[in-house]
Amino acid sequence: MQILTQLNSPVMYLIVGVVILFIALVCVFFMVRAYRAGKAIGMDVKLLKRAITASATFAVLPSVGILLGVIALSGSLGTPLPWLRLSVIGALHYETQVAEAAAEGVGLTTLSAAQMTPKAFTTIALTMSFCIIWGMVLAILFNKGYLKKLSGQSPKKGGGTSVIKDFGNTAMTAMFIGLVSAYIGSYIGDFVSGNGLFTFTGNWMPLVVVVVAALVMAVCIWLAEKKKAAWIDNFSVALSMLIAMASAVLVGQLV
Amino acid sequence: MTEEKKNELFEQYNNRTHVYGRIFSIISLFLLLAVPFVMGAYLQAMPDIPAFLRTFLAIGIVYLVSAIAEYLIYTPMLGAGGSYLAFITGNLINMKLPCAFNARDIVGAKTGTPENEIISTLSIATSSLVTILVLAVGVALLLPLQPLLQSEALQPAFENVVPALFGAMAYKYYRGNMKIAAFPLIAMTLLFLLVPSLTGSTSFMIIPSGAISIGVAYWYYKKGQKKDE
Repeated sequence: MQILTQLNSPVMYLIVGVVILFIALVCVFFMVRAYRAGKAIGMDVKLLKRAITASATFAVLPSVGILLGVIALSGSLGTPLPWLRLSVIGALHYETQVAEAAAEGVGLTTLSAAQMTPKAFTTIALTMSFCIIWGMVLAILFNKGYLKKLSGQSPKKGGGTSVIKDFGNTAMTAMFIGLVSAYIGSYIGDFVSGNGLFTFTGNWMPLVVVVVAALVMAVCIWLAEKKKAAWIDNFSVALSMLIAMASAVLVGQLV
Repeated sequence: MTEEKKNELFEQYNNRTHVYGRIFSIISLFLLLAVPFVMGAYLQAMPDIPAFLRTFLAIGIVYLVSAIAEYLIYTPMLGAGGSYLAFITGNLINMKLPCAFNARDIVGAKTGTPENEIISTLSIATSSLVTILVLAVGVALLLPLQPLLQSEALQPAFENVVPALFGAMAYKYYRGNMKIAAFPLIAMTLLFLLVPSLTGSTSFMIIPSGAISIGVAYWYYKKGQKKDE
């Protein structure tokens, strides 16, 4: 496909590579500063090294999961953009949702290389980059004041934060439930009424993929909880997605 | 070292952390937003701004609300250096937070102490570097596989990335929350069954669906609170 050749060209890798290199250097800078500050305030060097080793080993498995996310998105957006998006601020669930919404916004019926144009791609890239900046913006504007306020706060005054924690977590879960429900409802509607009200002749493949992904996720959660395989949590989303996507290829061949 | 000297050194370190954190966040923000335009210049196709604004109004607002909640909840847990880095590098809930908690537990640092701030920053910087390295190596290894990834046979897989994600997320979020999930799921299904033309604007339907979910969740939350009293 011509568009994927353009999206995977060396120049695109170069553009993305420069930004990722900058972010890597920022991480090294913060790491060296923290290490030196730890030594300066009398922390045990062994503990500092242990924190680094523990974090490095902890991060390997989730990072492989994130890499699987890059693979999942590379078929429709090329490799460089998903590589950037999942290295800077991104998260797999966010990137896929926003990319799909942006694809709809530019008039594509779905996020797919078959329909992709350079203009659609750059619009999707801008939407993906812009919609996720808020954490960084809030940190720039409020971090100093917010942390200062919290450090000087007595436990009694912490009531406001506890209310946010209490309903905040539930509200976030509820919001994602709403988001997922909108998409699943659309897949059911497309199958049942896509070619005329209640004709049941629309596109059923997304529903098959939804069911397979949910089943794989159920198995992953069962393994993590009942078989004490907590490590599988790091892969559960990416693994469910890849197996469900593979099922689309398989079912497509069989039908 | 006296406690006073230690606090003085830490205070200096912390103040500089905010200066560097802001500077690097602003540069990262600029680079991040410049990429689509630089790519546009190379591809000779600049982003469609009206389409971008429409999508932002539909879905970006949802993430703005979510970002405010995440910021208020997670910043105190991450500390200054950790939060600047975590908001630059992302993967907050699935990696940075558990990683920082793990490191903190291993070394026995307590929340709100200088030790916690140092360990949290070290942990998030290290885990970010590991992710960057794993992705870079993985992407390099992917290069020879490009023809395979672009083959016609695999296209059904890539055309169903989004349903695959929502299937997995549905199980994760619906599980244990069916009381909340039933309302938006039934409402959205009925809506799309009766008005199938809306499937082309699913992202706009997230707002009413999310509002229903949050409304139902709040009703159960209040009901639970009354029961506790």
